[in-house]
Amino acid sequence: MKDLLLRLRKTDDEARPPHVYFGALGGIALLILALVFIVGGYELGVGTPRRLGTGAFPVITGFILAVLSLVVIAADFRDTSDAERPDWISFAAIGAALAVFALTVGRIGLVPGAFLTVITASVPDPSLPILGKIILGTIVSLACWALFIGVIGLPFAAFGGF
Amino acid sequence: MEIITGFGNGLLVALQPANLFYCFVGVFLGTFIGVLPGIGSMAAIAMILPLTFYLEPTSALVMIAGVYYGAEYGGSIASILMNVPGTPSSSITCIDGYPMAREGRAGVALFGSAIASFGGGMIGMIVMAVLAPGLADLALNFGPTEYFAVILLGLVAASAVSNGSPVKGITMVVAGLMLGTVGVDITTGAERFTMGIPEMRDGVHLVIVAMGLFGVGELIVSIRANASGAFQNEIDYKKFYPSRAEWKAMFGPILRGSGIGSFFGALPGTGQTVASAVAYAVEKKISPNKERFGKGAIEGVAVPEAANNSATQTAFIPTLTLGVPGSASMALVIGALMMYGIVPGPRLLVDHSDLFWGLVASFLIGNILLLILNIPLIGLWVRLLKISYRYMYPTIIVLICVGVYSLNNNVFDVWLTLVFGWAGYLMRLFRFEPAPFLIGFVLGPMMEEQLRRAMLLSRGDPTTFLTRPISGTLIAITVLLLVYAIVSAVRQRRRLRKAAEALSET
Repeated sequence: MKDLLLRLRKTDDEARPPHVYFGALGGIALLILALVFIVGGYELGVGTPRRLGTGAFPVITGFILAVLSLVVIAADFRDTSDAERPDWISFAAIGAALAVFALTVGRIGLVPGAFLTVITASVPDPSLPILGKIILGTIVSLACWALFIGVIGLPFAAFGGF
Repeated sequence: MEIITGFGNGLLVALQPANLFYCFVGVFLGTFIGVLPGIGSMAAIAMILPLTFYLEPTSALVMIAGVYYGAEYGGSIASILMNVPGTPSSSITCIDGYPMAREGRAGVALFGSAIASFGGGMIGMIVMAVLAPGLADLALNFGPTEYFAVILLGLVAASAVSNGSPVKGITMVVAGLMLGTVGVDITTGAERFTMGIPEMRDGVHLVIVAMGLFGVGELIVSIRANASGAFQNEIDYKKFYPSRAEWKAMFGPILRGSGIGSFFGALPGTGQTVASAVAYAVEKKISPNKERFGKGAIEGVAVPEAANNSATQTAFIPTLTLGVPGSASMALVIGALMMYGIVPGPRLLVDHSDLFWGLVASFLIGNILLLILNIPLIGLWVRLLKISYRYMYPTIIVLICVGVYSLNNNVFDVWLTLVFGWAGYLMRLFRFEPAPFLIGFVLGPMMEEQLRRAMLLSRGDPTTFLTRPISGTLIAITVLLLVYAIVSAVRQRRRLRKAAEALSET
């Protein structure tokens, strides 16, 4: 597992920076979002100039956003500098950690949920051995119990579903 | 006279044991989070917000303000010791602070930055106490047309003067405005873009947007950046106090830095980063020992720190008196106020004068606390920098999860934070700034409401924004600012292209 991660990290680090066209994806995503709001806003009703409807503001901002994202896309296509190199491993691990928390906290409680979240989040760091991860997870989850349930008194179950 | 009585009453509020306690907690936590490299005051405030919902509005605001300027101060510690700015505005402090640390004068640099921060904070506080009531009086005459124009100016200023490309900045503001419409329309009661999800009826919670974009987003970026390890050097605590010559060298720069900082902090949209950059440039130009700048001059640490901290205080002026935030952090403050049921704006000084003056007085106490807290605690912060980041970030993720989950005891909010966290990372990847997005998101509903009212009052005539004198002037300034931003961006791109061509020819 550790070897695999180290190898993944290495190939990721040695990879060429992404192609410049990659940079234009951001603008394209915004353009799609703008179109969704324009269409949705029209369906909600734009009203009259005197009495602006529910959909008026989304339509106005959607149109401005659509124009701006076209400008951004054009500029990004002309941009010849290297795009940032994404760190997909950390991206996935942090996302997974949040997902683990969301899936576990209501079912098995805060303490085990926080423990599993720490373990998941620390996956992209192969320099921390598995025992270290377990110790860190234990300390953090117990500290959460003491701080959030003990001191602040948030209405969470420390252990649930058992 | 009114100011003195107001401030006196404020001191009574700020010195209440509970407020004193929350001020201390805020300053301490703010410094703690600010010291962590790569995590700025935005993430710090976002992480504290859920905790403040259990407090009185005044205590909550005092604590948030403490976190805010504590994080600004903490950011300078990481800049000086590691050359890794904890907050964007402290990146200027790196220029001279890090060379000082490498020369073995880290103690002096830290002490100098604490003194300069204190000086800047105090001057900023005085400026706020003097200017805010006048501005609020003026703003009492504002109608919806003027408000719309002020918000528009604030939004354009915030995006056009941001660090990256102005077009991308404005794009982010508009995207924020648009996403701010998600949820139930207050005027008609119709649901907008909720996709039939009941949790979306109230719109997306500000804490979720801020935690996702800044907390989670910054964390993903910082994992690789911090993989190289923690701070290793030793600090000589004996060489802590500046020499007499150094005290003398700092005095003028602190005053000038605070002046420049107070000015830029109060302008909507510019904020601390611009303030410290301008102050540093000015000081370098007028200083008799120009050549020492960048090589470890104490003035080079004092000026940006003073500017940065005075701007931190004066940023509250437009935020509280007009309800228009100068920066993303201030947008969070506005969002928090509205959650406590307080509408920021000119009425705030009249209706909640305790809150306003209590906050001003808490700046005094908070800055004193920062000074007495940080001189003995520098050792603790240094030790914190020595803790490897690999223990830090999984812990921070858990804190973010718990904070978001505590909003409504609903895991849907955690899922939404995941979405905004990924979005925040992708924005940085595609070189979009998340800060203008947040400002747009907070001001969107306010802007829409004022637009609707103004259009109703003018019977559907959009020229009302141009024909009314105050709003007409504000819109003219907005247009000028836009033109300036576009022209300077085009010029800069041409210059870069020429430089690239010259480079490829050689």
